[in-house]
Amino acid sequence: MSDSIGPAILTVEGIRSGYHGVTVIKGLSFEVGAEVFAVLGANGAGKTTLLATLARLIPLTDGGIRFRGEDVSTLQPYETADRGIGYVPQEHGAFPDLTVFENLSVGGMIGDRPREERMDEVLDLFPDLKALAQQMAGTLSGGESRMLACGRALMQDPMLLLLDEPTAGLSPLYVDMFFEKISEIHETKGVGIILAEQNATKALEVADRVMVLSLGEAFLVEGADELTTEQLKEGYRI
Amino acid sequence: MNLDWLDAFLLFGTFQVVMVIGLALLLHLQLGLARIANFGVVGFWAIGAYAFGVLFTKVDWSIGEPWPFLISMLFGTVVAGLAGLLVGWLIADLEIEGVLVGTLGFATVVAILVTTERGLTGGALGMGGLSFPFDIGKTKANELLWFGILFVVVGAIFYYVWRVHRSPYGRLLIAVGDNEPLARSLGKPTFQTKLWLFAIGSAGMGLLGAINGVMVHLLIPEGIGINVTLAAIVGLVLGGTARVWGAVLGVILTVGFFDIVVQSYLPLPRSWYTQAIPVLREMVFGAALIIVLLVRPFGILGDMRRDKLIRSTHRD
Ligand SMILES: Nc1ncnc2c1ncn2[C@@H]1O[C@H](COP(=O)(O)OP(=O)(O)OP(=O)(O)O)[C@@H](O)[C@H]1O
Ligand SMILES: [Mg+2]
Repeated sequence: MSDSIGPAILTVEGIRSGYHGVTVIKGLSFEVGAEVFAVLGANGAGKTTLLATLARLIPLTDGGIRFRGEDVSTLQPYETADRGIGYVPQEHGAFPDLTVFENLSVGGMIGDRPREERMDEVLDLFPDLKALAQQMAGTLSGGESRMLACGRALMQDPMLLLLDEPTAGLSPLYVDMFFEKISEIHETKGVGIILAEQNATKALEVADRVMVLSLGEAFLVEGADELTTEQLKEGYRI
Repeated sequence: MNLDWLDAFLLFGTFQVVMVIGLALLLHLQLGLARIANFGVVGFWAIGAYAFGVLFTKVDWSIGEPWPFLISMLFGTVVAGLAGLLVGWLIADLEIEGVLVGTLGFATVVAILVTTERGLTGGALGMGGLSFPFDIGKTKANELLWFGILFVVVGAIFYYVWRVHRSPYGRLLIAVGDNEPLARSLGKPTFQTKLWLFAIGSAGMGLLGAINGVMVHLLIPEGIGINVTLAAIVGLVLGGTARVWGAVLGVILTVGFFDIVVQSYLPLPRSWYTQAIPVLREMVFGAALIIVLLVRPFGILGDMRRDKLIRSTHRD
């Protein structure tokens, strides 16, 4: 373990979870503060399963999750969202039958600050969405809909944002832009971010710390600067 | 008041059209927005009618009119709403196939109970004595007034659905219909949202059932067949589920065409009305549905909201 992360927002203790008898996450423990925390790992390593578990969409079979001091292990997803966990899934992160504007506005159903204020901030962060405001989300391009998914989650004013491969399958220019946005969200809003990624190079550029997942177990948790290529390769079983 | 100009078939036909518009509007919220395929519409409609009828005719009321009538109406509405709560609770987390079977099964159970519970419902013989809560002279005048009341009720339903359509609640319903797992992480309890939607919709359907029962004066098991559900669904899908006016237009084109144009204005032999027409009606509805789904898959008033489906299938 490394780097002081400040007080932990999220504490994960020995969690196990999976699907219908298949255990994918096999006893993970880690802490995340107000930092960018990258989760790396090969295809099928369990990154998506881990994030969905943290968002409480997949039940725990063992272990516990504490968020800002509160045990959230048994809460419903809508309750964790209300506590301040924003979730952007790997796919289908926006509602296709709602316009861009309506998507942002359902995202902002909870939260105390005026919705317009939050909407302005999100549109400042992703100016491309402004021109698309009245378009149905189902007709957006892949990149546009990733921006919308992220903006929708930010409308909840989360303390912790779970981002599942936000740049998978997108053009290099877009990837660079999105990683800049991730740093910007973290720095300007002080939001903790858990970022599941395939793109190790990019993730290491923005991350404070890194966890390499391998077959549902944490291979290691390191400061992003300290991780060596050899360690990474070992984690990916290359 | 001279009402000779008013043809009885025309009045009943228009009454049916407006009543089915009410059902289709309620279904619009469930099927059109939240994508809950409620195929048990007639079950809630019948529960409302029978609960009203049982309380109104079987109880020895010691208070004067109009209270027994009004209380019974409220009772029918509430019982249908409670049935909706129960059925909703059973189906809220099921996939679409489960919802279909569950709601269809519910309507069947209601039809069976109505036939077997003779003591309460009159069984196959039917339950009579459902009279208007007023008497302003001729039968036709009473019927016209009752039609006016139905019109006001359906108008209120239209206004409610219209408001929901453009409210945050309406957007939440669309979100739930689009992608329920994602909607769960929006911060609002989706299960309760669906449950309420089902309860409110069912209560409205029950009220319409009770109002219809009073118009026809007699509740019989044959009156609560699947054709009531079908009329609402066909009208809704035909008009398009994306817009509130879709339900209105679709029902006018289907039920309106049959119950008004065919029955009142076509010179058909009287013997057809009991045998041939109901069958013909189902056949034409089915054919209309197939044609519309082929030509305009998202209904006559369908718009971009559904066009994305085409696009996404191209992309995948
Ligand atoms: N719904 C499911 N039912 C059963 N097994 C599943 C389900 N979803 C995922 N799995 C399995 O769980 C394992 C982990 O999958 P997961 O999606 O978490 O991997 P990932 O690290 O996100 O991979 P990728 O980088 O490809 O997105 C895989 O072996 C996968 O086959
Ligand atoms: Mg994944």
